[in-house]
Amino acid sequence: MSIIETLVVFAGIPLAVVAVIFGLVYAGGGRSDRRYRPGRPFDFAPVWFLSAPEAQHDAASNGHAALTGANRMALTKAEAQVDAAPGEPIGDVTGGASDRW
Amino acid sequence: MAQQNIPLTERPTGFEGPFTTRQLLRLDEAMRLADKSTGLVFSIYVGGLDEPSRETAKKLHGELADPANSVLIAVSPNERVLEIVTGSAARKRLPDRACKLAALSMTAAFGGGDLAGGLVSGLAQLADHAGRF
Repeated sequence: MSIIETLVVFAGIPLAVVAVIFGLVYAGGGRSDRRYRPGRPFDFAPVWFLSAPEAQHDAASNGHAALTGANRMALTKAEAQVDAAPGEPIGDVTGGASDRW
Repeated sequence: MAQQNIPLTERPTGFEGPFTTRQLLRLDEAMRLADKSTGLVFSIYVGGLDEPSRETAKKLHGELADPANSVLIAVSPNERVLEIVTGSAARKRLPDRACKLAALSMTAAFGGGDLAGGLVSGLAQLADHAGRF
């Protein structure tokens, strides 16, 4: 075989294989920008999910009404109730847990 | 951290949020199942929690339509704080002990960088402990 052929066969083919595998691996997009890494700053828009927003919601809202009009209606409804009953109602104690990581 | 507290004026698509579409679908499914099986209203907030985080979470919980029967899971990934707030009726079925257990497993997942997975498994744990409706 000539020099060119030797070069192509023994250097070109492995390089081509490497290039193909490289392309396949990084063709997925490298989703590192979306990944949350604790301790590193993580930029995002805050979301608040309700699974079943109250009856009056517009037809365009999706299943998890993330901060749509339904929540705002929920907010105003709760505010109206709070205004109507001044002073802390008895038995309105919340529970739960907190934790850090 | 100030850019997290943007005003809630326009409708967000959820895509600038912390979850991918697939994660959003999983979360939606998990919340719907939890709601349906327990009869309580589960709600998840992912965003900044101003200090003191417990009080802010309680305030958010109070803004829900039915706070007594609601469970709010508030996560702040940048401050690395998780708050679970149960309403006065909900806490009878979900004692603080159970919430703490769920919080422990959720923070274990969050520490590994898995926000959606932690939330889904935490929801499943809470729903399981609250029992059937």
